[in-house]
Amino acid sequence: MTEEQQTKKWPCEIPSLKIGQFEAPVPIIQGGMGVGISLAGLASAVARAGGIGVISAALIGIFEGEAVFFKDPKAANIRALKKQIALAKSKAPGGIIGVNIMVALTDFEPLCVAAFEAEADIIFAGAGLPMSLPGLRPEGKNHSRLVPIVSSGRAATLIAKRWLTKYGYLLDGVVVEGPKAGGHLGFSHDKIEAEESQLENITREVIEAMKPFEDKAGRKIPVIPAGGIYTGRDIYFYINKLGCAGVQMATRFVATYECDAALPFKEAYIKATQEDITIIKSPVGLPGRAIKGKFIKAVEEGKKSPYKCIYHCLKTCDYRKAPYCIAAALINAQRGRLDAGFVFAGSNAYRIDKIVSVQELIDELMTEYCEALKEDEERS
Amino acid sequence: MSVEEKIIDIIVEKLGVSREQVKPEASFIDDLGADSLDLVELVMAMEEAFGMEISDEEAEKLRTVKDVIDYVKSRTGEA
Repeated sequence: MTEEQQTKKWPCEIPSLKIGQFEAPVPIIQGGMGVGISLAGLASAVARAGGIGVISAALIGIFEGEAVFFKDPKAANIRALKKQIALAKSKAPGGIIGVNIMVALTDFEPLCVAAFEAEADIIFAGAGLPMSLPGLRPEGKNHSRLVPIVSSGRAATLIAKRWLTKYGYLLDGVVVEGPKAGGHLGFSHDKIEAEESQLENITREVIEAMKPFEDKAGRKIPVIPAGGIYTGRDIYFYINKLGCAGVQMATRFVATYECDAALPFKEAYIKATQEDITIIKSPVGLPGRAIKGKFIKAVEEGKKSPYKCIYHCLKTCDYRKAPYCIAAALINAQRGRLDAGFVFAGSNAYRIDKIVSVQELIDELMTEYCEALKEDEERS
Repeated sequence: MSVEEKIIDIIVEKLGVSREQVKPEASFIDDLGADSLDLVELVMAMEEAFGMEISDEEAEKLRTVKDVIDYVKSRTGEA
């Protein structure tokens, strides 16, 4: 724990978030955001503030420079991921640094190996079922804890069962991502609004699904909800009322000075109204939540034409049928070129009205958490 | 029970479909309404029932009822 964390005093005691050998004094995981929205800059700031900072691995090699990247994209991604993990760790001594690696990435497997080798504290894997993740661990690299991201109790059960029977590995935690999240969603279009898909319900489902595994192993599996969690009151609800170990939040961390995206990307969050936040059909084959801008409007009007695939980044993308390249669009947006790309965002992004520091954001959230706790105690 | 019957039993149970629907040419996704989780569940059930391991690459190729029957038969040596 850094000095900063030790001196930090909030009005009440904050429950820490334990995942394996790691204990975060602030029970918040900053969700991984690609492409390049959460790199070492944001992740280390969150870790310094006591939360768990997460680097997004998607196309991370592009930040090595395009000439270098296109010479050998896979090698660039691996090198960049290791570099960003080392950088984040050096900027946040004693803090917890995770990585988010999408299963749908064509280089999911080598990126996981790289994360094990670079001793990322936690590997988060979603956008597909990370059935083989424990098997990718190189001999002797026992540092990293493994946390899948799911959107149903069924998926959580399948992964837990598979990991246990095939690798003798009990998952170290599970993130439950609901339909109000930003970016790609693990729900079909018609299920996004359905009552049974809502975060509160699927979180209960996953908590229930983990019970037999917990009973058998004699230890708790931290369940961490994500998607639409916005205030300290929301955090209070999920931890104190539902029994979650912590929460994952991403959208709010975009509007911070430390977020690795260019300023126009962050300003898009500040400018967005509720009506601007929309569901798009992504070439990935999943629905995604984004802020409607020029680019998305042009796509909707059929103005974007098929392109040549130069990134080969996703297993699930059929570039011959895709109306645009999502990799190029997201890289452009990260760099602030919003005319040539679009901004992924959670359903509550429109509520953001200013850019703050990560520490200010955490202070605000923890203060709200304490207020909710106090009100609850006074009522009972 | 033959390998074929055993496989059909598993499909009926896991996907909640009727025996009549489980024709050899039926596609799990297009004809039997399976989603990606169903497919994983199905593969795991086959592994358990026949005491074999099916790799992800092999599993991806199993799209129809016949694919599974042929695959399991080739692995168990029952042609």
